[in-house]
Amino acid sequence: MSEKRITVDYLARCEGETGLDIVVGADGKVKDAKVVVFEPPRFFEGFLVGRRYDEVNEIVSRICGICPTPHQLSAVQAIERAMGVEISEQTVDLRKLLALSQWIQSHALHVYMLAAPDYAGFGSVIPMAGVPELLPVVGRALKLKRLGNDLTVAVGGREVHPLTVTVGGFTKIPEKAVLEGIKERLIAAKEDAYETVKLAKVLFDGGLKRGAPNFVRECEHVAINDPNQYAINDGRLVSTMGLNVPNWEYPKVIIEKHVPHSNAKHAIIEGRDSFLVGPLARFNLNFDQLSADAKAAAKEIGFAPGNFNPYANIMARGVELVHSIDESIEIINKLQYKHEVPSYEVKAGESYAVTEAARGICCHGYRVDKYGIVEKGDIVAPTARNVYNMEKDFYELVPMLLNEPDDEITLKCEMLIRSYDPCYSCATHAIKVNLHRLSE
Amino acid sequence: MAKPRIAVFKFSSCAGCQLEIVNLENALLDVLGAIDVAYFVMASRDMEEGPYDIGFVEGAVTSPHEIERIKEVRKNCKILVAMGTCACTGGLPSIKNWTSQREMEARVYTELWAINSTTAYGIDHYVPVDVYLRGCPIDLNELVDLVKAALLGVAPPFRPHAICVECKLKENACVMLQGKPCMGPVTAGGCGALCPSHNKGCEGCRGPNNDTNAASLAKTFAEMGLSKADVVRKFRKYAGNTPQFNEGAEAL
Repeated sequence: MSEKRITVDYLARCEGETGLDIVVGADGKVKDAKVVVFEPPRFFEGFLVGRRYDEVNEIVSRICGICPTPHQLSAVQAIERAMGVEISEQTVDLRKLLALSQWIQSHALHVYMLAAPDYAGFGSVIPMAGVPELLPVVGRALKLKRLGNDLTVAVGGREVHPLTVTVGGFTKIPEKAVLEGIKERLIAAKEDAYETVKLAKVLFDGGLKRGAPNFVRECEHVAINDPNQYAINDGRLVSTMGLNVPNWEYPKVIIEKHVPHSNAKHAIIEGRDSFLVGPLARFNLNFDQLSADAKAAAKEIGFAPGNFNPYANIMARGVELVHSIDESIEIINKLQYKHEVPSYEVKAGESYAVTEAARGICCHGYRVDKYGIVEKGDIVAPTARNVYNMEKDFYELVPMLLNEPDDEITLKCEMLIRSYDPCYSCATHAIKVNLHRLSE
Repeated sequence: MAKPRIAVFKFSSCAGCQLEIVNLENALLDVLGAIDVAYFVMASRDMEEGPYDIGFVEGAVTSPHEIERIKEVRKNCKILVAMGTCACTGGLPSIKNWTSQREMEARVYTELWAINSTTAYGIDHYVPVDVYLRGCPIDLNELVDLVKAALLGVAPPFRPHAICVECKLKENACVMLQGKPCMGPVTAGGCGALCPSHNKGCEGCRGPNNDTNAASLAKTFAEMGLSKADVVRKFRKYAGNTPQFNEGAEAL
C-alpha cells in the first residue's frame, strides 16, 4: 500500500481553532500525528501580572466561554489558599452547585450537539432537528441545557461568565424561591438524564449511523478524588497508575512543555507519559462516589469502571448528568440561605488549586504580593492536558482503521478528538485533522 | 424573502458569545427556522462558502493572520456584526497592549520564535463594522432583538445610555454609595445593570456609553480611596483601547 496523509484543516464542533495532521507510512504504521492548535495566544498568564487579586477570577473566566466556572473556581480557591482566606460551608455548597450546573449544561451540549451528529450521520444538530423522529431528541437536549443554564443564572447571575463568585464567598446568594422552582425541574429532568445515558450507549454501539471503534489504550487516567463525595471543586490528585498527592502539588507532578507545532503546551506525568483527564477518568477513579441512581444507570447499560476506550467518554457524560442532577437536588435541600459577607485580610502568598471542569482537571496557581497584586500566574486548562494524549491515541487508532475509506478514517479521527470535548481557547492559552498516507 | 445566510467567525476569543447563540435554547428552533446557518464551525461540520448576508465576528484581532482574515470576512459579508466586547473594542486581551509584546510573550512561552502576536484591537481597527453587539458576553435579549431587526430590515433598537439608567429603572441602591467602585456611569447599558444588581460594581465590560465623562469618574474613584494604579486597571480592562476609557486611565 502507499503512504497516506489524514488532514483536517479546521475541526468542527469543538471549541476553538485546531486541525489534525497524521502521516501513515506504507507499512501501515503512523509516522507522525499532530494535533495542530492555531488558536492565537491571548497571554492570560502574562497580563494577569500586575492585576488585583479580587479581579483574577473575573478575568480568567474569559479564558473559556464553555467552562468559565471551573476557571473561576480554581482561581478563586488558589487565591484564597495563597492569602489564608477561610470560606463558609454555605460557600462550599454554592460553589459546588454552580460547578454542577455547568456540568449539566456542558454535558447536554456535548452529548447531543457536538458528539451525536457524527454517530447519527449528520454535519450538525441543525438538520437533526429537521428529522421528525429526532426532533424530540433535540428538544430534550435544549431542555436539559436550559435547565443547567437556569441553575447557573440562579447561583452565578449569568450563563456565560457568572459574576457572583468572589474571594471569600459570593456577592449575592441565590433566592430560595428560584432554587426551589429549579429543584422541581431537576426532579422532572431525571427521566431525560436516564434517556441521555441510554442514547449515549445506542450511539456508542452504532445503533444509528456509525459506532465508536473498539479502541482500547491503557494510558494513565487522572482526576481529583474525595472519598466522601464525587470530587469537583476539591480533592486529592489521583490516577490509575497510583498518583496520589494534594491537588495544590500539581506543578510538582505534571510537567508542561511548549511544542512548536502547537500554541498549546504538552503535559506529562513526571517520570511517566501523557495522560487522560475528563469524565471517563473520573468515572474510572471515582465510581464509588457517584450517586446511587447514576451507578444504577451505568450498570443498566453495562458500563463499568476500568474502561480505557476514550470514545466511552460519551457514556461517562451521560452518567455524570444523572449524578449532577442528584447532587444539585441534595445541595438545594440543605441550603440555609444565610446572609454572609466575605471578610478577610489581604496578604502575600502563593498557592495552587484544581477543580474538575466538565472536560477534566483545571489547574490554577498564583503568587500575590502584600497588596494583593499578582506577581505570577500559572494556568493549565484540561485540554492542554489531553492534547498530547490524543496524539498518542492516533498512533494506535489509525492502523486499526486503514481498511476503511479515507472519509470514514478522517471522521473517526475527528470523533476521537471530539470525545475529549476539547476546548482550544483554553488549551492555548490546541486542533486541525490532516490524514496523510505517504506513497511507497 | 429568502432566508438570510448567516456565518459565525471566531477570532481571538473564549467562544462564550458563540455559545450564547446556542444558549438561546427556547428560541433557538424558531431562530433556526428563520435563518440559514451557512458557516458556524463550533456547531457544524458543514461549512458553506460565502458570500453571506450577515457575518457575526467573535473575538479580537491579535495576529498578522487574523488581520488578513478579517479583511476577507468583511468582503464576504453584506452586514458585519462585531459580536461581543473582544470584537468591539479588543476586550480583555487588550490588557496586554500596555506591556511590551516581547515581555508578554516571555512570561508565557519559551519557544518565542513560534509566537506571532500583534497589539489586540477590535475588528473596526481594520474593517468597517455595521452593528456592535456589546458585552462580555453578549446579552441574549439583544441578540434576539438583532435577529428580529435583521429579518425586518430595520436598525436594531440598541441604546447607548449609561448603566446608571438601568439601575434607576430597577430601583437598585447605588453600589457607589456602599463604597464599591462602579464603572456604570461611563459604561453603555443593555445588560440590565447585571453586576450592580448582584451587589457589585460594574466592570465596564460593554465599553463606553454615548456621553462619557471618564475623567470625572476617575477622580471620584480616587476620592473613594482607589490608588492611581487601581484606577488605571479599571479603565484598561475591557475597553482600554477606546479614547473614552483611555481618558479615564490617564486622568490622574
